[in-house]
Amino acid sequence: MKSYHNGWKSKWQANHHGKQTVHVVGRKGVVNMKAVTYETFGLEKLLLTKYLFFTGKGGVGKTSTACAVAVSLADSGKKVLLISTDPASNLQDVFNTELDGKGVAIAGVTGLMVANLNPEAAARQYRESVVAPYRGKLPQSVIENMEEQLSGSCTVEIAAFDQFSNFITDAKTQLLYDHIIFDTAPTGHTLRMLQLPSAWSDFISESTHGASCLGQLSGLEDKKNIYKEAVLNLADKTKTTLVLVSRPETTPLLEAERSSIELSDLGINNQILIINGVLSAASDEVSQKLLDKQQNALTTMPDGLGKLGIFLIPLRSYNILGLENIRAFFKGDDYVQTASYAKPLGLQGLDVLIEDIYQTGKKVIFTMGKGGVGKTTIAASIALALSQKGLKVHLTSTDPADHLKYSIEGAPLITLSKIDEKQELLNYQNEVLSKARERMNEEDVAYVEEDLRSPCTQEIAVFRAFAEIVDKAQNEVVIIDTAPTGHTLLLLDSTQSYHKEVQRTKGETPLSVQRLLPRLRDVGQTEVIIVTLPEATPVFEAERLREDLSRAGIHNKWWVVNQCLSMTNTQNPLLIARATAEYQWLEKVKKISQGNVVALPWLENASIENINLTCKGEK
Amino acid sequence: MKKLEIFDPAMCCSTGVCGPSIDPELMRIATTINALKEKGIVIKRHGLSTEPQDFVSNKTINALLQKDGVDILPATLLDGEVVKTKAYPTNEELSQWLEVKMASESPWKANSSCCGPKGCC
Repeated sequence: MKSYHNGWKSKWQANHHGKQTVHVVGRKGVVNMKAVTYETFGLEKLLLTKYLFFTGKGGVGKTSTACAVAVSLADSGKKVLLISTDPASNLQDVFNTELDGKGVAIAGVTGLMVANLNPEAAARQYRESVVAPYRGKLPQSVIENMEEQLSGSCTVEIAAFDQFSNFITDAKTQLLYDHIIFDTAPTGHTLRMLQLPSAWSDFISESTHGASCLGQLSGLEDKKNIYKEAVLNLADKTKTTLVLVSRPETTPLLEAERSSIELSDLGINNQILIINGVLSAASDEVSQKLLDKQQNALTTMPDGLGKLGIFLIPLRSYNILGLENIRAFFKGDDYVQTASYAKPLGLQGLDVLIEDIYQTGKKVIFTMGKGGVGKTTIAASIALALSQKGLKVHLTSTDPADHLKYSIEGAPLITLSKIDEKQELLNYQNEVLSKARERMNEEDVAYVEEDLRSPCTQEIAVFRAFAEIVDKAQNEVVIIDTAPTGHTLLLLDSTQSYHKEVQRTKGETPLSVQRLLPRLRDVGQTEVIIVTLPEATPVFEAERLREDLSRAGIHNKWWVVNQCLSMTNTQNPLLIARATAEYQWLEKVKKISQGNVVALPWLENASIENINLTCKGEK
Repeated sequence: MKKLEIFDPAMCCSTGVCGPSIDPELMRIATTINALKEKGIVIKRHGLSTEPQDFVSNKTINALLQKDGVDILPATLLDGEVVKTKAYPTNEELSQWLEVKMASESPWKANSSCCGPKGCC
């Protein structure tokens, strides 16, 4: 097992990096790398502009870092507004306070206000403001028609970014606070939100026949100046700092580089990188493996990130919940040292889940959960196992950070695909235009082309691609590794509202779209597997995800708790402290899932092969 | 000149390309109206989701909606009188009402096996 493992690792390094691994052993308190030593993060090292954006892959510690910065600034006497733009935000858990879209004062922190932007709630408020004046004046069927139209993802998206733009441009807010800190949704969503102001103002400028698509947010044209100003503020390095947050792991670092480049393209150049959860010393096999893995990721960090100011935050033994932990986050850790811990018992391995799916003959399998919990690897592991049982499998990802192609290419009976938003938009535009060209003159085609440039069209395009893929489940098992939670929810929400529209429409609705929601709701056909980590935030978020799914009429049975340190044999005191803290979350998931839970140990190399080989569960 | 108005149901954009599917009828009417505009003939469209007030202020439309509900839309008014409901006017109807020459066949129908709202032929 071990030799296989090491052999695989060096092969991977030779293939993907083309250079030799430099093994660097960390000494206590110092993190050494190939000629580079990064500083530990402290507030005094941050460029304190008015706007601070925290972004990065899900699960890297954006919220923890943003909260610790916000509380530290407030403690130093500043007036601070902390806003989450993540539809799956967990700020309310961190501060143990019910939040709203305007800002709530936090007991125990003078000068700090915290707000949760909720796009669904914003859209609801908007819808109500449009419809309310007409209740009683127009018949009920007319009111319902309006409400349906105002429930689409287009409205949700516009309402969310409208609320967001207001926060970056509102003169009163600017005067009221020294610092406005944004804890943003996982990368893809944030990029989209930051791009939207320019996308919409371009669309409004170029539109010649009236931006009909915008009509649903009345008076939006007047807001063009707000969007322009938002873009200007974001690009002004004296006003805005972008803080990229990552873990010392390869995939999040790659994603950090990608966002760094895309955000530079938008003119947001004032960027720094914080690497969260860095282990500084090892004292046993498990901690040595973790240390090696982290050091390897750091020494092979993408070149683009090397240009930024880079800071580290050490791995902590605690979850960032409550003011005490938030205040300690940049300072230190005083965990109680214990020599051992009891391993959790009665946990099932992935093979039980795979057998259940095989036996029940389910055709549509989703892996869902916060980013960074290992959805992609779990999805690919299930795909591989089902194909080994002789099933034809289609594995797809809407996650732009997917690494499926490295892991599974070439396996027989498995086909791979990916939903690339830009490509899907292009495909959809081409499809519509080629149909239009068959029958229309050039002028008319140009007219249609204009509506196709509306930013909502991208949502439609992705939605249709999604429906197409689910429809493949006629002939094979379709496994969908979805994008992080917020985005997935928007997709499912559009499924629901579009489904209603589809039933009314006279257009050429693809069969795949008509069949989508009924299939997703069919317990006999669809299984949603929620993947989480044995930690507070991922479990809370997973719980909310389950509630959202059940509201959409979609059933969930299985849970996977990934990367359990408590299932390893670690002797390292820091890791033991973390392992001990895992129990309550494992127990909670057991309860929520009524025992339908699979737990996987922390693995140095969480490859599909290793998961399938080592995770047979404890009988 | 005659005054023609169309009252649309709630929808995202006038061509429907940002709705769940492509409706050739919506494309046809949007481009036809655009073409008429080039000739100086303006057909006013009222969107239920954008200008709901128009559906309250216009007594004829309001009465129609109160009686038949939302399924009566789209509705066309010629000089204030209802001339068509539940479907968009054909090109023939438009040229008759507006007294302009138009291709009797919509360019949309030329290569299509489907002929408009009534389905396929």
